[in-house]
Amino acid sequence: MRKRMAVAAASLAALVTTGLVTVASPAFAQKAGGTLHLAHRENPPSASIHEEATISVNQPFMAVFNNLVLFDPKEKVNSPDKIVPDLAESWAWDDTKTKLTFKLRSGVKWHDGQPFTSKDVKCTFDAVSGLDEKIDIMRKSPRRIWYTNLKSVTTNGDNEVTFTLGRPQPSFMSMLAAGYSPIYSCHVPGRDMRTKPIGTGPFKVTEFKRNEVIKLVKNPDYWKKGRPYLDAIEWKIVPNRSTRMLGFQTGQFDMTFDSDVSFPMLKDVMEQKKDAVCEARPTNVRSDILINRDAPPFDNPDVRRALVDTIDFKAFSDILSQGHNLEGAAMLPPPYGVWGMPKDQVALLPGHNPDVAKSRSEAQALMKKLGYGPDKPLKIKVATRNIAIYRDPAVILIDQLKQIYIEADLDPIDSSVWYNKIAKKDYQIGMNLTGGGVDDPDTFFYENFYSKSERNYTGYNNPEVDKLIDQQSAETDIDKRKKLVWDIEKKLAEDAARPNIGHNYDNTCWDPKLKGILLQVNSIYNGWRFEDVWLDK
Amino acid sequence: MAIIDHDRALARAGANVTGFWSQAAFLARRYPLGAVGAVIVSIFILTAVFADVIAPTDPTATNSKFSLAHPGSMFWLGADFMGRDMYSRVVHGARISLAVGAGAMGLGGIIGISVGLASGYLGGWFDLLLQRLLDIMQALPLLVMAIVMAAALGPSLRNTIIAIAIPLVPTVARVVRSSTLSLREQPFVEAARAVGMGEFRIAVRHVLPNTLAPLIVLATAQIGSAILVEASLSFLGLGIPEPHPSWGRMLSESAAEYVRTAPWLVIFPGVAISLTVFGTNLLGDALRDILDPRQRT
Amino acid sequence: MGAYLIRRLLLMVLTLFGMSVLIFVMLRLVPGDIADILTNASGISDPAEKAKIAHELGIDQPILVQYGKWIGGLFRGDLGYAYVSEQPAIDEILPRIPISGKLAGMALFFAVLLGVPLGVISAVRQNTKLDYFLRVISLSGLSLPSFWLGLLVLMGSVHWFGTIPIYNSDPHGFFDDVAMLGLPAMVVGFRSSALIMRLTRSSMLEVLRQDYIRTARSKGASMIAVNFKHALRNALLPVVTVIGIEAAFLVGGLIVTETVFNIPGVARFLVEAILWRDYPIVQNLVMLIAFVVVMINFLVDMAYMALDPRIKFAD
Repeated sequence: MRKRMAVAAASLAALVTTGLVTVASPAFAQKAGGTLHLAHRENPPSASIHEEATISVNQPFMAVFNNLVLFDPKEKVNSPDKIVPDLAESWAWDDTKTKLTFKLRSGVKWHDGQPFTSKDVKCTFDAVSGLDEKIDIMRKSPRRIWYTNLKSVTTNGDNEVTFTLGRPQPSFMSMLAAGYSPIYSCHVPGRDMRTKPIGTGPFKVTEFKRNEVIKLVKNPDYWKKGRPYLDAIEWKIVPNRSTRMLGFQTGQFDMTFDSDVSFPMLKDVMEQKKDAVCEARPTNVRSDILINRDAPPFDNPDVRRALVDTIDFKAFSDILSQGHNLEGAAMLPPPYGVWGMPKDQVALLPGHNPDVAKSRSEAQALMKKLGYGPDKPLKIKVATRNIAIYRDPAVILIDQLKQIYIEADLDPIDSSVWYNKIAKKDYQIGMNLTGGGVDDPDTFFYENFYSKSERNYTGYNNPEVDKLIDQQSAETDIDKRKKLVWDIEKKLAEDAARPNIGHNYDNTCWDPKLKGILLQVNSIYNGWRFEDVWLDK
Repeated sequence: MAIIDHDRALARAGANVTGFWSQAAFLARRYPLGAVGAVIVSIFILTAVFADVIAPTDPTATNSKFSLAHPGSMFWLGADFMGRDMYSRVVHGARISLAVGAGAMGLGGIIGISVGLASGYLGGWFDLLLQRLLDIMQALPLLVMAIVMAAALGPSLRNTIIAIAIPLVPTVARVVRSSTLSLREQPFVEAARAVGMGEFRIAVRHVLPNTLAPLIVLATAQIGSAILVEASLSFLGLGIPEPHPSWGRMLSESAAEYVRTAPWLVIFPGVAISLTVFGTNLLGDALRDILDPRQRT
Repeated sequence: MGAYLIRRLLLMVLTLFGMSVLIFVMLRLVPGDIADILTNASGISDPAEKAKIAHELGIDQPILVQYGKWIGGLFRGDLGYAYVSEQPAIDEILPRIPISGKLAGMALFFAVLLGVPLGVISAVRQNTKLDYFLRVISLSGLSLPSFWLGLLVLMGSVHWFGTIPIYNSDPHGFFDDVAMLGLPAMVVGFRSSALIMRLTRSSMLEVLRQDYIRTARSKGASMIAVNFKHALRNALLPVVTVIGIEAAFLVGGLIVTETVFNIPGVARFLVEAILWRDYPIVQNLVMLIAFVVVMINFLVDMAYMALDPRIKFAD
C-alpha cells in the first residue's frame, strides 16, 4: 500500500514537474518522496555535533540543523570563496576586519515550533567558544580552540548578530561554514541535544535507538521551499562492515557509509552490484604516527630520525588503498587540498624520500651506531585504537620497523582510554588518524599542533611553530599565507611531529536511483545536509 | 554396555599386546573415532611445536604485491589483503591456539585442583565458602564471564589465557572435590593417616593421583572449549591482538569483507579451528570411555 | 522437602548477591570509565570537564554508596540511567529482551527438533554406520565456532537467495519473524542440538539396557513401540535437564551470532555496553543473565524432583 502511494506520489510529482518545469529545469526533474535507507558504521557517541569529533555524528545529524553559512553544497571543493548563505541571508565585515555582522533569515522555526532568533546564534557560539560556560546546551566542545580569537557575540534585534574578533582572521568564515558548526537553540538542554536533537534543518529526529536505528523525517515547515525531497531517512546501525556491504549489494541500503569502501573491497562491490555508482575521493583524514618524545627510546632524536626514515609510504598506500592514498605533508596535498605543499617539496621532507632503500640503510646505520642490530633488536610497543582502520596501518608499520631492528608488538587500546593514554604519555609510538573538519590551516594547526590546544594530545610544543601558526592565521593574502603554511609543514616534518603515512582516499558507493549526491573532495564532514537528495523510483 | 576390563580384553586379543604400540593399535581398533581424534590432536600439537620449520615464512610479513593472492604454488593457502601468507598464518595460529588451550587449561586446572582438593579435603566452613564462590562464578556462561574478564584485562595473549582460565576453575574444582570426598574415607587414606603422614602429603600423594582419570577426561574436553572461546573473543576484538595470527582474529572483520573475492581467508582458519576442536572432542570422548567408564555416553 | 526448598531459595539469593558484588567490583577494576570516553571520544582530555561529567553521572561517589544506590534501586525496579544514551536503563534493556528471547526460543526449538530424534536413531542403531555418521555430525556441531558457521550461512544466503536477513525492527507478523531470525536461530541452535543429541543417545542406550525393556521385547512388543513408548519416555528426563541448562548457556552463542547477523538483542548489547563502560547497562544485564541461569537450574532441579520420586535431596 505504502509503496503504491509512493509510486503514485512520485508519478504525480513527475507529471507536475515535467509539465510545469520542463523549460526551466535542467535535463532531469527531481522527484519528491521516498525513504532513504542507509547503513551506519557504528553507534554514534551522541547526536550532538558540537560535542563530538567524528563523521559518525556529522553524517546522520547534519541534516537536522542549519548553519549561519555553508560551504556551497554544489561545489566539489570547500573553499573560502565558495561560501553560501544558510540561516544568514547576508554578512559583512567592518573596516578593521574584526567585526562580522550577519543578517538572519526571519520566519524560521525550530522543530518544536519555537521561533529562531539571533539569541540562538549567540547561545551557540557563547557555548562553543566557552565565552559563557553556564549555558547548558552542550558539553565542552572539542573545537573550542577554533574560537580563541572570538571576543564576543552581540545581538541587535531578532535578526542581526555580530561576532567581534580579537584580530583579523580570514579563516573565521570557513569555521562557520563547516558541518561542525550547526546552530543550536537556547531552549533545548544538552541532554536532549545528545539524544533527540532539535534543529531548524530539513529533517527532524523521530527516533535514535542506540545500536539499532536513527530515524529522520521530513520537516514539513522547512524554511527552504520545496525541500527536502525525501520523506524520511533511516539509518541502520551495522557495526560489521561485511554485513553493511552485503546490505548495500542486496539493495537494502541505498548508499554506503561515507568512504566505507576501501580499494581492496571495491572490486567485489562493483561485481556484486553492477549498477552501483562509486566515487573515490580524499577524506581529509590522514594516518599519522604519534611519537612519545619524552620517554626512551624515542627521546633520542636519532631513533626518531631512523623511525621516520624507514617509513615506506608506497608500501602503506599499496596495501591499504592499492596505491591511491595521497602522499603529502600535514595538510591535504593539491590538487584536492587548497593549502598543502606541492609534491616536489614534499619529496625533500624526512620520511618522504622516494629512494626508500637508501634512507632505510641510513636508518639502519643510525640504529647500529646506537647498538641495535639483528641480534639485539629494540623492543617496543605500538599503541593504536582497537579499530580496523587504525590497526591495519599499525600492523604494516610493525612489519616495516623490523627493517631497522625494531621488534614491535601491537598494543590495541579501547577507544575509551585511547586519548587519555596518549595525553598521559603512556605510550612509545602510536598509530593514529587525524581528520580535518575543514581543509583550513587555522582549524588544522590550532587543533593539533598549537601548544595550548586541548586536542594537541601529543603535547607538541614548539614556540616557533606557535608563532608561525598565529602569523599565517592573520595573513589575508592567500599566496603569502600558503608560503607560511608550507613553512609550518616543513618544521613539523623535521620535528617528526605526527609523521604522516598518507592521506586517505576511499570510495563511497550508491544506487543509481539515488540522485543529487555530491561528494566534496577536501572534507567528508561538510556535505551531508541531504536536502537536495532525491530518489528516482 | 558393561564396564570393560581392558586388561582382560587385551589379554583375550592376543599375547603381544603388552607393548605400547600394540596397545595403541588395539585401542585404535576398539575406538576408531578416538583414534582419528588422537591423530588430529597429534598433528595439531606437532604443527604448533614445529611451526617455524613447517612454515618458514614470517606470518606477519606484509607485501603489497601479493595482496589477496590466490592459493597456488607460491602461497598454498593464498594471502590476505596485506599480502601475508595464509599458510604460514594458519600454521603459526596453531601455536596460539595450543598456548591458549593448554595455558588456560593448565592455569585453570592448577587453581581448580587446589581449590577442589582443599575444599573436599578440609571440608567445613571453608568448603561451604568455596562452594558458594564457585556457585557465583558458575551463574554466568563461560563466554560471558570470559568477555567481562577479557575487557577488564585488555587484549594480549597472557590476559586471554587468564580470562579463559578463571571461568574454567569451577568445573575442575567440582570434579576434584567430589572425587576427593569419596576418596577421603578410603582405607588407603586411613592407612596413610595411621602411619602418621601429614594431611597435605596425603592429599597430594594419595588423593590427587586417584582423581586423575576424570581430570584428564575433563581437560581434553575443556581444551577444545578454551580454543573456541579464544576464537570467539578474538573475533569480537577482545582476545589476541593483531598481528599475531590467531585463528579467531583472522576470521573477524577484514576476512569477512573479502569473502567472495578471497574466500580462502574465511575458509582455512575456520577449518583449522573446527578440525582442532573436533579432534580434541573425539579424543575426549574416547578417553572418557577408556578411563572413566562410569561417565560413558 | 519444604526445608530443602527454602534452603535452595536462600542459596539462590546468596549467589545473586555474590554476583552483584563480583560484577560491581570487576567493572570498576576495568581501566577507563565513561567519563573518559565521553570526554575522549572527541579527543579532548580536560580534567575539569571529566570531573563535571563524573559528577553528573554520580561515579565520583564512594564505591559503597554507588553499590547501595544500585541495589536499592533494583528492589524498587529502578535500574538507573544508562550513561551513553542518558535514558533509563530499563528502557534500553527491556525492548531488547524479546528479540534475544525469540531468537533463543527458536534456536532451542530447532535444537530439540533436530537433536532428540537423531539421538534416538543413533542409539537404536548403535555402532552402525548411521550411528557413526550422526555422532560425527553432532561432534562437529560442538566443534564449529558459531560465528564461522554464521559467516558461512550469510555467504550461502547471498549466493543462493541473493539477499541476507537484515534485522528489521517492525516485522509484520509471525512469518516475518521467522524469515528474519530463522537462519541465525539455526546457527545458534546447531550447537545445542549436538549436545541434546549426544545426551539423548546416551540416556537412550542406558534405558535400552534396562530389564524392563528386555522384558517388553521378549513379550513381543514391536521395536518401534519399545523404542518410543518405553525407552524414550524414560530417557527424556536427563534430556530435559540439558535443555534447561542449554537455554541459559545459549547466551554465549547469542553474543557472536547477534554480532554476525546484526541483531540488536541483549547479548550483543552486553558486549557493546562493556566496551562503552556503561556500567548501569552491564551490571543489570549481567544480573539478568545470572538470574536466568540460577532460576533455570532451580526449575530443572524442581522438575527432577517432581518427575523422579526416587531422587532425594541432600547436599
